[in-house]
Amino acid sequence: MRTLVVASGKGGTGKTTLSAVLVRLVARRRRVVIADCDVEASNLPVALRANVVTRSSFAGNPRAVVDEDFCEGCGDCLDRCRFGALSLSDKGFAVIDPWMCESCGACAQACRVDAISFVPHRAGEILVGKGPTGPIVFGRLRPGEDLSGKLVTSVRERAEGIANERGTDLIVIDGPPGIGCPAIASITGANGVLAVTEPTLSGEHDLRRLVGLAHQLQVPVKVVLNKADLSATGAGRIRAACQELELELVGEVAFDADLPPALEAVAQGEAPPSSLDALTAVRSFQKIWSRLEPWVDG
Amino acid sequence: MKPITIAIASGKGGTGKTLVATNLAVFVARTGVRMTLADCDVEAPNDHLFFDVHPDVSVVEVPIPEVLAGTCPEGCTVCRDTCRFGAIRMLGGGPVVFPDLCHSCGACVDVCPAGMLGERQVRVGQTGAGVVQDGLGLVMGQLDVGQMKAPTVIGATRERAGTEGADVVILDAPPGVACSAVATLHGVDFLVLVTEPTSFGLHDLVLMVELGRELKLPMAVVLNRVGTGVVDVAGYCQSEGIPIIARFPFDREVAACYADGGLLVDGHRLGHQWFSDLWESLREQLASIGSGVPA
Repeated sequence: MRTLVVASGKGGTGKTTLSAVLVRLVARRRRVVIADCDVEASNLPVALRANVVTRSSFAGNPRAVVDEDFCEGCGDCLDRCRFGALSLSDKGFAVIDPWMCESCGACAQACRVDAISFVPHRAGEILVGKGPTGPIVFGRLRPGEDLSGKLVTSVRERAEGIANERGTDLIVIDGPPGIGCPAIASITGANGVLAVTEPTLSGEHDLRRLVGLAHQLQVPVKVVLNKADLSATGAGRIRAACQELELELVGEVAFDADLPPALEAVAQGEAPPSSLDALTAVRSFQKIWSRLEPWVDG
Repeated sequence: MKPITIAIASGKGGTGKTLVATNLAVFVARTGVRMTLADCDVEAPNDHLFFDVHPDVSVVEVPIPEVLAGTCPEGCTVCRDTCRFGAIRMLGGGPVVFPDLCHSCGACVDVCPAGMLGERQVRVGQTGAGVVQDGLGLVMGQLDVGQMKAPTVIGATRERAGTEGADVVILDAPPGVACSAVATLHGVDFLVLVTEPTSFGLHDLVLMVELGRELKLPMAVVLNRVGTGVVDVAGYCQSEGIPIIARFPFDREVAACYADGGLLVDGHRLGHQWFSDLWESLREQLASIGSGVPA
């Protein structure tokens, strides 16, 4: 089984649009399972109009709760909490700010009367959808929850399970922006990262950080420059950065205002998938995949 | 006096948070308001690319348990059993700490009956603070590559931004709606959500509004790249009672200006007017919630 991660560092460079085009092209010739690992803003199922087939609950860290029948208001828990999540109410009871609480249990440990306990709660869900290119697994984290990295790992595990059942040998991951824990969870153990960048100073800066992360995780990187024609100097800087970092630039895609509406029309069933082939951007993607495929397959 | 804190956020990445935050900060500072811009997108901090600043850097560290000399009591696994994050395993008769899983809560240290656990400081990132121009300071947070503690670095960035003596602090938030977003938005005075009229923009705006509601924050929307999509974000905002305080068109000149690290307030013929109007609308919003803004 081979796994390709589409990632970027900077948000909004075109990861999801590129992923949507890529999986449509790939699925014409081979089977593929998709994992949308941007669990805070999963847009690939939106782009592909996937129908949800199954959903399962994703448990968060248990929530700390204070039992006011027992709390004596001694304040020992306040001293022990390192996250500033505890305070004393007007009535003299300990109060937990759920936004600050890390569910570590230090407060419960400090409590002499066992007034603090932990209750399970749901932080989100893992969904399996059926899309035009086959199965798509994605996560939905409830706004404000932590554990996005853990949910990413669960989404990947589910995608791998489905790929194994169906004998599919390729998983394409649409990754989250950034280089923090969800990005680390998305890239760890993958076979390659396709870094999508844009010809801006921000795009270059964040590409460098993403490449640094992938190197640490020992996952090889190739780069695609999206919206390449928006700045000639910016495009030049990205090409120079690729050379300096010894990264292959597998393709450049010009900004194409027709692409999002065309993808939308195909997703809605208003236009046949083959209508995409006329777009310049899609032809660029075709070339990119022909360069990527042997690399991804190792 | 406590500054007024305004966060510029979005669920979706790349909607224009940095564009709005940097230009608004510069514009407002020019009106004589003492301003601090704090870049809380610590995984991909970009605000500094638009300014010539020489930041004073300060390291962000977290305490991680370490095993001190001594011998564990026979068969004792209290530290491992106490840790709710699975960051301690017993190997070779003693505890081994996995720093990536540790939340630095100190519970294991407190609970060890043999007093064998201490803590060491481990670097996870840095903050920088510098002067952009008279009346405008930049504070930036940066997570070290390979580290996971983004919320810790965000907390340090906000803390530092609060000590700069500004009237108004603008926080450039990270994309997303999870812990990094909460660390940035918790307790701010006002939330500005930047979105675009596409199906992705609307999908992620809905999630962001849900988070804003849970955090009980007053909100307004900036609709960016009008013309790139036909999704009815305005209809959604109206039904939710969220005002749209600015509309910026999709414009190749904007994209080109941003690409090269330029500011719209200086480099685009309409930039000054756009941000003047935005600030005016934002001041009305702040006045309506009782946050007095310096004139």
